Amino acid sequence: MRRRDLFAGIGALSVMPSTTWADANNPTFLSAARHSDGSYHLCGLDERGTVLFNLPIPDRGHAAAAHPERPEAVAFARRPGRFAMIVDCARGREVAILSPPVDRHFYGHGVFSSDGSILFTTENDLETLDGRIGLWDATQGYSRIGDIPSGGIGPHDIGRLPGSETLVVANGGIATHPDSGRTPLNLATMRSNLTYLDADQGPRDVVELDPVFRQNSIRHLSIRDDGLVAAGMQWNGPEFEYPPLVITHALGAEADLLEAPSDIQRRMQGYVGSIAFVHGSDLVGATSPRGGLVHLFDAQTGEFHSHFHAVDVCGIATAPSGTAMVTTGTGVVGQLVGAELASPQTTEWMWDNHLVVVQAI
Amino acid sequence: MMRSLMVSACLLLPQVGMAQELPAIVATAVESHILPRHASLVAETSELSSVTQEACLPGDPTLEAAFHAAFDAWINVSHITFGPSEADGRFFALSFWPDTRGVTGRSLSDLIASEDAAVGDPAAYAEVSVAARGFYALEFLLFDDAVSTQGNPDYRCALVQAIAADIAATSAEIYDEWTDGFAELMLTAGSNERFRSAEEAAQVLFGTLTTGLEFTTDLRIGRPLGSFDSPRPNRAEARRSGRSLHHVELSLTALADLARILSEGDPRLQSLMADEFAAALERANTLDDPTFMSVAEPQGRIRVEALQLRIRDVRALAVSELGPRLGVAAGFNALDGD
Repeated sequence: MRRRDLFAGIGALSVMPSTTWADANNPTFLSAARHSDGSYHLCGLDERGTVLFNLPIPDRGHAAAAHPERPEAVAFARRPGRFAMIVDCARGREVAILSPPVDRHFYGHGVFSSDGSILFTTENDLETLDGRIGLWDATQGYSRIGDIPSGGIGPHDIGRLPGSETLVVANGGIATHPDSGRTPLNLATMRSNLTYLDADQGPRDVVELDPVFRQNSIRHLSIRDDGLVAAGMQWNGPEFEYPPLVITHALGAEADLLEAPSDIQRRMQGYVGSIAFVHGSDLVGATSPRGGLVHLFDAQTGEFHSHFHAVDVCGIATAPSGTAMVTTGTGVVGQLVGAELASPQTTEWMWDNHLVVVQAI
Repeated sequence: MMRSLMVSACLLLPQVGMAQELPAIVATAVESHILPRHASLVAETSELSSVTQEACLPGDPTLEAAFHAAFDAWINVSHITFGPSEADGRFFALSFWPDTRGVTGRSLSDLIASEDAAVGDPAAYAEVSVAARGFYALEFLLFDDAVSTQGNPDYRCALVQAIAADIAATSAEIYDEWTDGFAELMLTAGSNERFRSAEEAAQVLFGTLTTGLEFTTDLRIGRPLGSFDSPRPNRAEARRSGRSLHHVELSLTALADLARILSEGDPRLQSLMADEFAAALERANTLDDPTFMSVAEPQGRIRVEALQLRIRDVRALAVSELGPRLGVAAGFNALDGD
């Protein structure tokens, strides 16, 4: 199918949703989780961390994408994902199961176009191991439209610049194939990048780090209202090097590398699990489940701000109201106030990697 | 490297009583596992380089024997990826595999076709693509049907000599760095910045054990297995020289030795680990399929999968029992690696 055809009439197709997020008890956040009984679910949470609903999913989840209007979410399987489940959060039921084409698998993240008509998913081409972005028609029961290059290898998180259709893709750079589990196949040659692309026009900008950081895998994104992108990285280079794990970047500008004083940097163990703008978007929060540590940076100056500890911490996100939340794999959910968790609760849910905001901030 | 696989996880305090034992365990691992194996790698690669001065073309039995002995010595240490091995990209310079895009054959073919002058200068050869360096490149020159017969034999001879000399030089650099300071850092863990405690040093060693097992299950066996509908025997490691299964056996033997050292002081666990490794090795020894060609047939496939499962059992035991003993515990997200 020609690209011109794919995109003709987007926007015109958007219809008034029959149900809205209010019908789903207005969750603020979505997160995949494992219940203490071993079952996997997609949960909706409010700003106090109360679980408003939970829906079973077939296997361990990773991240979710919320439809901008309909109370509908896509729960992605953990990499290498063979399914993404479309969930009606108001009625508490499955709308559809998306399976990637036979020569593809999902990487665990996705994002909707601004009007919610198209779902974009990060995918692996199992023949070439090149990254692809899958396109699904959210107005037509999520039929597959086609796919486009992601601009690199191993695309993981994907976001969209606010007020535009420009996608931002974290091409982690690591080639994997399900035949070899999750074992990297190209560490000798890997090179990560951040790609900005318009689905109908191709790449707008590709940001690569200095070659000394080529084994720094850009994997997770948070995007501020003004288009500033914060990205969290995972180091695959020598064991005893502790490079920066966070960058901020605005389209057309140079990327800034953010790092903590060396001793605190080291404790992240070369690994950021999730990233989010917090506290009026003045700060960037980066979590490390391996280090049991959260770093906070000043988003404007790039200066290290503070840090705090939380065992197996990973999920972090900011609600439209400005409330920042943090979740851990040990079941803790708590609001981030200043540089600490205020009144954290321990739940029966082992929160998976990502806490996702229902409405983009 | 391979850090994303490492069971770095949440670091907890080791079990009661372990704190006193850990320095001795680390010392044994360094002195009786790491250093002698690297010394052997230096000896065998130096011998290989010498042999290529006399015999440098495919089919020569002396050259092939030296190649196999040196490659064996590398597989015996290839799980020790941290420190001197990963510095300056030495690991990849010796060991460019897997090669998902077939770059090794293409790079060598280009060198031969253009008779690139880098072969005459060790410093220049150390700068060529890592895909054309190391054991896997040498294997191509000696055993690949196309590359081993391509172009000018004199040039290929020089290329074999250059790669063997480069392998010997890189191996010597690794050993020198171990004996010239890095071993000392591990032995004095707790009083230097690199290893802030014996726990840190033991945990790095534990990571090499679990990562080494994963390398074997996921790559050495997983690559050729492919899927039932699409088996990939041509992806078997070092299949041209018939070494695929042999690498599994060598690696299991090396990792069994490391596991024995890391479980020192706990005879029950030590014996359990030994039994698990022995069961996996027994499977490997009876497979009678040196290059995993049988993965394309249902019967052969079942046997290769059974070997893979056995090795996964070894890893599961290491993660569930040895890890906590050394102060490494698995977190839900910490272990996820995504």
